[in-house]
Amino acid sequence: MIEVENLVKKYGEVTAVKGISFTAQSGQVTGFLGPNGAGKTTTMRILVGYSPPTSGKAVVAGYDVFDNSLEARRRVGYLPENVPLYRDMSARGYLMYLGEIRGIKNRRARADESLERVGLIDRADSRIRTLSKGMRQRVGLASALLHNPPVLILDEPTIGLDPLQVLELRSLVSELGRDHTVLFSTHILSEAEQVCDKVVIINQGQIIAQGSPSELRSELERGGRVLVRVDAPAEAALETIQNLPGVRHAEAAVDGIIATPTDAHNDPRPQIARAMVERGWNLMELRPLAVNLEEIFLEVTRQQTAAVIEEAALGSAAIEASEEEEILS
Amino acid sequence: MTDTPMTPVTTTTEPHAQSVVEQGAAFPWFAVFKRELVLYFRSPIAYGIAFAILFLLGLLFNGYVTQGNGQFPADSTYAPGLLTFLTFLIAPLLTMRLIAEESREGTVEVLMTLPMNESQFIIGKFLAAWAYYTVLLLLTLVYHFMMLTIGTPDLGAAFGAYLGAWLYAGAVLAVTMIWSAVTEDQIVAAFLGAATVLVLYLSQIAVSWLSQQPGISGLAELVRELGLQAHYDATLAQGIIRAEDILYFVFMIVGALFITTRIVETRRWRS
Repeated sequence: MIEVENLVKKYGEVTAVKGISFTAQSGQVTGFLGPNGAGKTTTMRILVGYSPPTSGKAVVAGYDVFDNSLEARRRVGYLPENVPLYRDMSARGYLMYLGEIRGIKNRRARADESLERVGLIDRADSRIRTLSKGMRQRVGLASALLHNPPVLILDEPTIGLDPLQVLELRSLVSELGRDHTVLFSTHILSEAEQVCDKVVIINQGQIIAQGSPSELRSELERGGRVLVRVDAPAEAALETIQNLPGVRHAEAAVDGIIATPTDAHNDPRPQIARAMVERGWNLMELRPLAVNLEEIFLEVTRQQTAAVIEEAALGSAAIEASEEEEILS
Repeated sequence: MTDTPMTPVTTTTEPHAQSVVEQGAAFPWFAVFKRELVLYFRSPIAYGIAFAILFLLGLLFNGYVTQGNGQFPADSTYAPGLLTFLTFLIAPLLTMRLIAEESREGTVEVLMTLPMNESQFIIGKFLAAWAYYTVLLLLTLVYHFMMLTIGTPDLGAAFGAYLGAWLYAGAVLAVTMIWSAVTEDQIVAAFLGAATVLVLYLSQIAVSWLSQQPGISGLAELVRELGLQAHYDATLAQGIIRAEDILYFVFMIVGALFITTRIVETRRWRS
């Protein structure tokens, strides 16, 4: 269980995390989703007790990460973003070293158990420098699992893996989610949709949406907007759709026409379909907007991004600040 | 490639939620200490330092004895005294890697999210460097045994000189380690470390100039007391064991380790 309340992290003038609150339940995979530089890594570093928050509160496995840092750290397995490892050690040696610091008694057996779990037991004696990127990622994951912690925090665990490894890792993460609290960050939207029970979307240091993927979807579909793609003169099609009784507003978009219904609970699609067919046009596509996380994400970040561009135009100070933020995070 | 797929829970049906929380090692620094010490004895650099120092010491010792040509009594304080001076070169080479490498590789992020405080981490690192230096110092005991064959060196002076050399090295290692925490660049850390120790060593020059200036004799005395030479060359190296000299080295060690700890902490907090 992870509870975050009004967490703020400032680096001098720059605020990387601007008062976020969320919870990650036990027995669930919580996805931490956002573009690069959104504040994901900063938040995770606070949660693992590496970096203290400027203000706000974070409780991991029942312990405050700042006031009771060591107790919280005992209960967390952490995979940092770039998977730092001692390259001159063997995979097993590395795990045993961490195990010794953690005070694990039967270190060798526990190290082997973890390596087995990530499918790397046959390379246990290989020096880490000789392992491939995917294998190193697994060594990092094994080190997070070593002490069998109730909470796992994985920072972009699928980055740099080949497609097969990505699939394996995702299934391992889902598996772990059954009996752990897993918080896992990614900027790949489809990944979050596949693996997570709950998604927290973060951008510019703020949470802009959270909920289960299906909750988020229905929330954004509630507007009932639909996308129409039709094989017809654009002007004529737009006008036809605009004039349908069930459609309040229609506008041309890059990939078709977006129609907003007069009543959100009244699906305008049958009307549109009929109208198109009556005029003898080929209806290519007709679907509700925001059906996947990608569209939800673009939708919720759109206004924010627009605001930022405006702000940036007002003065170069804002641009500098966001650049600095990128470097820091 | 032997790249077996990851096999989750399928092999073990035991639910992992019933995890037992480890109480943590009683002395996590000891794990760090052991790893670092083993690394010294595995690294070619450490052997290179040992070889170069012992070789140089051997040459100088040879010159010292042959020049003396039986004209003055056997003296066992020569080798530790010389090693102490050379420490301004040895210490930075031994400590430059300790923290800089962890920062550069990012492994400090792994260690500092384990149930271990900065101080434990720093102490483990420092003690490993000091232990390696101790081995080096013990190797120079060979000159003491040579002296025993040609005369009767003052054992009290020898003891003072070796004890002093050991404490002196501890202080210098602790001071040079600060730079390893400040920068991720090992070469920069080594250079700044050597420079810092030289300043502390050569502060004696400033003292003689300061003491000639009217009205600031107190300042001259302060600088003298802060310098390394005042607490070794004139006292311990002669076999004079004074509490204030021992306390000086102990305070230097504790102070430097404290500063290093705060630097590592600050770097972590800012990340």
